[in-house]
Amino acid sequence: MSLWHIAWSYLWNRKLTTVLTVFSVALGVGLIVSVLTLREETQRRFEQEGQAFDLVVGAKGNPLQLVLSTVYFLDVPTGNISKDILEALRGMEDVEGVFPVAMGDTYRGFRIIGTTPDLMQFRPGGEHPYALAQGRYWEKPMEAVLGVQVAEESGLQIGDTFRSTHGFVQVPGAEEHDEVYTVVGVMKRSGTPNDRAIFCGIESVWDLHAHHDGDIAGAHEHHPENEVTAVLVKLATPALRFEYRDRINRNYNAMAAIPVQEIQKLYEQLLGTAKTVLLAIGYLVVVISAMSILIGLYMAILQRRRDLAIMRALGATRGEIFGSVLIEAFWVTLLGIAAGQALGMAVCAMLGHYLTQRLGFHLSAIVWSPDLVSALSAVLLMGMMAGILPAWQAYRTDVARDLAEP
Amino acid sequence: MVTLKNVTRRLGPGVVFQCPAFHAEPGARMALWGPSGCGKSTLLNLISGLLRPHAGEIVVDGVDITKLSEAQLDEFRGERFGFIFQTFNLLAPFTAIQNVMIGMRFADVVPAHEWRDRAAAMLKRVGLEHRLNARPGTLSVGERQRVAIARALVNRPRVIAADEPTGSLDPKSAAAVMDLLLELCEEEKVTLLLVTHDRAIADRLPEMFSCYDLVKEAVS
Repeated sequence: MSLWHIAWSYLWNRKLTTVLTVFSVALGVGLIVSVLTLREETQRRFEQEGQAFDLVVGAKGNPLQLVLSTVYFLDVPTGNISKDILEALRGMEDVEGVFPVAMGDTYRGFRIIGTTPDLMQFRPGGEHPYALAQGRYWEKPMEAVLGVQVAEESGLQIGDTFRSTHGFVQVPGAEEHDEVYTVVGVMKRSGTPNDRAIFCGIESVWDLHAHHDGDIAGAHEHHPENEVTAVLVKLATPALRFEYRDRINRNYNAMAAIPVQEIQKLYEQLLGTAKTVLLAIGYLVVVISAMSILIGLYMAILQRRRDLAIMRALGATRGEIFGSVLIEAFWVTLLGIAAGQALGMAVCAMLGHYLTQRLGFHLSAIVWSPDLVSALSAVLLMGMMAGILPAWQAYRTDVARDLAEP
Repeated sequence: MVTLKNVTRRLGPGVVFQCPAFHAEPGARMALWGPSGCGKSTLLNLISGLLRPHAGEIVVDGVDITKLSEAQLDEFRGERFGFIFQTFNLLAPFTAIQNVMIGMRFADVVPAHEWRDRAAAMLKRVGLEHRLNARPGTLSVGERQRVAIARALVNRPRVIAADEPTGSLDPKSAAAVMDLLLELCEEEKVTLLLVTHDRAIADRLPEMFSCYDLVKEAVS
């Protein structure tokens, strides 16, 4: 029969109050866990994707827009660049890989990416985000390989055909191309934006837009085969990123952007503020919870002054009485943290599902980042501090007086 | 065994407890008798170290407890004293056997692995072997007082401090509890100091200390 057991028995003896206090702690912890996990995990996944390519070269404009459109397939491209730049990049020293992409169409909202077959063999960091689950890669124009999410949502299978829609935004009455794509492969799930993209040979995109008298990425040109939307560049070492970015920006009619840098800027500018606000709310909830721990324990101590006096009469020291009350605060806070973790994981799982649909990212339910460990330690400390005043009250028990009270 | 000399404690403005002399031999069974407010519970609290005197000497089992620090007094009380109260003072969240074990937990005189067996044996001695896991709220008042007796005796203390132990019981239960208490104190050779305002109860004990005139108006 330890002090832990005694403290637990008193908590169990007032179940409703204990559950409500635990729940209030759990709300704050759940919010903190959700915010930190989502921030860590999305940033990690964004940066992981961004690390795959050292540079993205596209039409001049907003570098973040260029990165979002070509690496994450989220935004509209900044325009097209001349194929000459692609050739120039291929000839540069320290450039290990150049992968042109051409975009202009979608199928049921999923972007169609025209590129060269060597991108399909690209293995950033030893991963293979373009690996096939079924079928084969394209071998001729108008053959397409589907990301797994595209296959799941569209129901398309190998051998099926589809017609693409012109433009990046799905609108009613959007113009469909006459030409028909044939599905020849489905990729494995990679947890990357590739899951919600359709890949084909770059010639397919050129051909469609030549027939369409059209444009790739909105640029009105009659010879699309002379243009690409962007070029993804892999350098010999990431240390060369800044040098090559500046060199390209200076010497070519194009814009080079470093994906990781743009994403970090986006996080700092946009999500940094949101994170601060949400974390502040989380901590506020925890402080309120700590107050409820304090009030709950204080009232409990007042109600059981006689019990504390009995324990003292039985030989309990003041330190043991102080400790037992502090342990009650510890139990409540620990249970609140555990319940908050579960709540946070549930929220992350739900939001993760949404992000999977929206971004193609598979997020872990919980990420033990240093920030999260620090935050939970702070919550535990706050809970314990809330127990100090009631514990002090218990410590000061006047045994003879409290035993004499009716 | 228990000796008080010139013990004084101020109880409030103008009210003072004074006990010039008190003595109880080892194994004594003594009633501290007197009407309500006469100071008999204060005397018991001073002897058991629940109250500190402002002056005087209190020697229990050869130790002047007025010289002990707070922590030493807690330890001394846990080792040498067993308490029985009028309102039983069992701890509601715990079962009968746990209430008895708590007595050992805080006194720290019995090894932890013996607590359960010893508590069960003690409850058997007070006739509650069938109620080990009952909570105080489900016990009759007589049963509650028997659990309290078991808790008081389980550490084999030198002194049992019983404050009106039959005050909340009907006459039949009170007689049964007194029989049990006297029998166990005899068996364990433990000193019993029993506070009561009931002369009939006091007369059942071999010795009696009259607590009249212990509480006085202070002379300025």
